[in-house]
Amino acid sequence: MSVKIAYSTNTSSKEASQEIKEKFSNENNLKLVLFFASSNYDPNEIAAEMQNNFSSLKTFGCTTSGELISGLMLKNSIVAMAFSDDLIEDFSVEVLDDLNKKDAVDLAFKNFESHYESKMQEMDFKKYVGLTLIDGLSLAEEKIIDRIGDLTNIPFVGGSTGDDLKFTKTHVFYNGKAFSNSAILALLKPKVDFDIIKTQSFKALDKKLIPTKINSETRTVYEFNNIPAVKAYTDLIGIDINDASKYFMHHPLGLMANDEPFVRSPQQTKDYAMVFYCNVSENMELSLLESGNIVDDTKRDLDLANQKRKIKSMINFNCILRTLELEAKDQTEAYGKVFEDIPTIGFSTYGEQYLGHINQTSTILVFY
Amino acid sequence: MAGQIKNLVEQIIKVRCNGNPTLINPTKIKLILKGINPDKFNDESEDDPIIIGKLQTIIKDLNLVIEI
Repeated sequence: MSVKIAYSTNTSSKEASQEIKEKFSNENNLKLVLFFASSNYDPNEIAAEMQNNFSSLKTFGCTTSGELISGLMLKNSIVAMAFSDDLIEDFSVEVLDDLNKKDAVDLAFKNFESHYESKMQEMDFKKYVGLTLIDGLSLAEEKIIDRIGDLTNIPFVGGSTGDDLKFTKTHVFYNGKAFSNSAILALLKPKVDFDIIKTQSFKALDKKLIPTKINSETRTVYEFNNIPAVKAYTDLIGIDINDASKYFMHHPLGLMANDEPFVRSPQQTKDYAMVFYCNVSENMELSLLESGNIVDDTKRDLDLANQKRKIKSMINFNCILRTLELEAKDQTEAYGKVFEDIPTIGFSTYGEQYLGHINQTSTILVFY
Repeated sequence: MAGQIKNLVEQIIKVRCNGNPTLINPTKIKLILKGINPDKFNDESEDDPIIIGKLQTIIKDLNLVIEI
């Protein structure tokens, strides 16, 4: 056994946690439990109950905007993955409980270095992998993932925590406690090989926009190509200026790297400015994207990874905008089926992380 | 003057990857996400002081020792 997965839709934190525990009860070599819970559970209760039920293990996780488990997309549930000691050799979990602190990542990395008795720059990037769970309302994701990338070559993958589209407060969980405006960084040393899949369902059109006036703190673009952002965007698509937001989901923008988009999704218009779900930089060339079929494209990318070696388990950080699109197209069942044969947990995120902070993407950690 | 940006970008990638080809692509993507696309600069690219300043900040953030 390498991982065990379980879920509960019981609305009581206590009973849901007990149900998860019972499903893991036959395993005696568990090391670590990762869980994703709907924000409709009381965050302090669910954190405490999960830790109480796995008192000899470490537990960590976060709130969501929908949960994933092999074959199913869920709402108002808790999903959990227990890692056994034949999958994970060692791990270290750090809570960043003040995201305004400039050196929060540096301090966490010092603790990782102390735990593993090795410099982060010197650790073998093929032997370690990091997880990020970052408050999805904090606007702090870029700073965190950018600093991580500065300090190490170890790949980090993860998602921004959600709150079932209430947009009020999200939480991360560690060791029986819930933290808001916080992030978790976990550094795993797996005993097995692993990889990261980044999948999105877009093609880049030969139409570009260059941000020329921005506020990166608020992720706002005032002007593209020196004209008001909404006008530039709607002119590029060839639609009425008042219809911009109707096209956001189908036509986000992409920062292209080796023909692969790092998606930047517009969130709303403010007068003639556009606010995004992640940061764009001044003079960064962005391509207009056109959406495709999420189910087909995710299956294609998973099949490609599976052809190399059989995936034995995975953690899927799936953008809430993808979930909303799947729901709108009545494709949630088909999406769940894409990974029904692979032990999987995941959640609908407010943003995804891999090398940078991105949108409308699934970032997936797979274990072989 | 021209070509300094390409030279700096190449050195950042070389020093950061330390001879490991697997790291070249993720390092280039990190630079692109920071607003510097390595493929956009060649020997004829003008030595834009704003971009050179950005690269010097990146060198400092990555704690790299590079001869300029």
